[in-house]
Amino acid sequence: MAIVSQSSKFGNIMRPTMAWVVGLVFFFPIFWLAFTSFKTDADAVKPEFLFFFTPTLDNYLNMAENYDYWRFAINSVITTTFATGFTLFVGVPAAYAMAFNPSRHTKDILMWMLSTKMLPAAAVLYPMTFLTKNFLGVFDTHFLIIIVLSLINLPIVIWMLFTYFKEIPKEIIEAGKMDGVSTWGEIKDILLPLAWGGLASTALLCFIFCWNEAYWTVRLTTTEAATLSKLIEGNRAPEGLFFGRLSAVSMAAVGPIVVLGWFCQKQLVQGLTFGAVK
Amino acid sequence: MSTKRTLPRLLQTPAVLLLLVWMLVPLSMTLYFSFIRYVLNSNRRPEWTTPSLSNWRGFGNYEYVLFNAKDFWFAVSNSLFIVGSILILTVTLGLAIAVLINKSFPGRGIVRVLLISPFFVMPAVNAVLWINMILDPVLGLNGLAVAGINEIIVGLKSLPLIGGFFQLWPEIEPISFRATQTSAYAVIIMVTWQWTPFAVLIFMTSLQSEDQQQKEAAVLDGANAWSQFRNLTIPHLARPIAIVIMIQSIFHLSLYAEIEIVSRGNGNKNLPYLIGEFASNNIGAASATGIFAVILANIVAFFLLRMIGKSLMD
Repeated sequence: MAIVSQSSKFGNIMRPTMAWVVGLVFFFPIFWLAFTSFKTDADAVKPEFLFFFTPTLDNYLNMAENYDYWRFAINSVITTTFATGFTLFVGVPAAYAMAFNPSRHTKDILMWMLSTKMLPAAAVLYPMTFLTKNFLGVFDTHFLIIIVLSLINLPIVIWMLFTYFKEIPKEIIEAGKMDGVSTWGEIKDILLPLAWGGLASTALLCFIFCWNEAYWTVRLTTTEAATLSKLIEGNRAPEGLFFGRLSAVSMAAVGPIVVLGWFCQKQLVQGLTFGAVK
Repeated sequence: MSTKRTLPRLLQTPAVLLLLVWMLVPLSMTLYFSFIRYVLNSNRRPEWTTPSLSNWRGFGNYEYVLFNAKDFWFAVSNSLFIVGSILILTVTLGLAIAVLINKSFPGRGIVRVLLISPFFVMPAVNAVLWINMILDPVLGLNGLAVAGINEIIVGLKSLPLIGGFFQLWPEIEPISFRATQTSAYAVIIMVTWQWTPFAVLIFMTSLQSEDQQQKEAAVLDGANAWSQFRNLTIPHLARPIAIVIMIQSIFHLSLYAEIEIVSRGNGNKNLPYLIGEFASNNIGAASATGIFAVILANIVAFFLLRMIGKSLMD
């Protein structure tokens, strides 16, 4: 009963109020971006129209004209989708093998995979440019961006899948083996249905990371495979002239992903802490 | 028996091979370039523009970067300043917010969604949004707010009777976040905004598993809220805090897009940005700096991997 007395007036009124204030403060910049995207470029910088203005959809309707939005958006969709697919294609078998048939090297391999993620991208920027431009001739192609996005996310994807697969009782797989199910059958009929949720959220998170990537996608592209990150980066200093239209194109770039992100909060914790926080 | 072992190996081979190539090939090229004279343009010494062993320079590039390139130590200390500030801010804010929203209240789900949203915003958009629309000293909210305050002060000054009192108030100048030092603050602000949600999410997950019975016992023993927090919650969160610190160190040591967008050409730089600058001509120096960045990241990674490794197999 002593516990109940703890939730005093502070607990009842102040705590929710403060929580709401904090939540709104953190969301404010995104709200402001959305808000500004409905102002004309001229209104966006006039203090008298700060809160009250005539909303317009022009910024969204003219996105293609102003920024060639769809070209970049399609590139983002293509590279992100294929990169996610390829990462899972390589990652699922690897994580499956490591979770269900661990050898004494499995732990070391997992650790080593994670350590590749810690290699600072800038350190290998020039060799990558050199190789892809002069040597392989794949600079500024979808193929290159898909491969690079896959490789930078592969360690995290394998780790996430590994922590999911580890939760599945081995006995279920063993029982399948007893019944004479082939390895492929094991994966298709037993593992996948059980791990479906984990797979979906891994894919979702991988998609988000690929979409937001802003180092290699900017540095290894010029026009052909340039993604939305590159588009925004290229318009970094609008000098106040284009706040309205820049807000609209930014909203179009981040809106869908933020909504996707809402659905995988829990997986984010597991994925980014490598199962060490539960 | 043999198929039982070969198949799992076969299944992980593509992943291992891909990552091996991805890590070894560019890194060994960086290592090689860091030991030779290699520039992209040189009228004086055209032979330096093609990578070749005959341009061997030994540790010359490293010496140049360490002792002659004036920006190196600035970039290192600035990298550490930016990462350190972000860590202190995100962990403190993250703890406070996680404790605040740990108990249920009306609309908790919505508050959680509002809070986590910044984490999913593309870094490029984050930087463009903050530096232009919020922090700009003239057109951003920063400038507009300061202009508003100044107008109020002018209004107060013209008041009869009490106006005299306000005569002493100076006009406020908005801070410009585009100078060398202040643009580092701008980067810290925007990255803190983006990563505090991550800390909150992890601390909250961990708080959910806190031993409630222990807490009740502490309350019965007359422990107040602060000593409960200090003696029970903080030790319980020690591990998540360490993980948040290390994961963020890895991400923020290679911070690039934000610096590029906020600070291009104004002198503010971190290690990755300095590498980018060198790489516009002096590949040797860029590579040597890159190797230093790898060493710095490895020091951090060493501790992180040891920590995660402990909890991996249980």
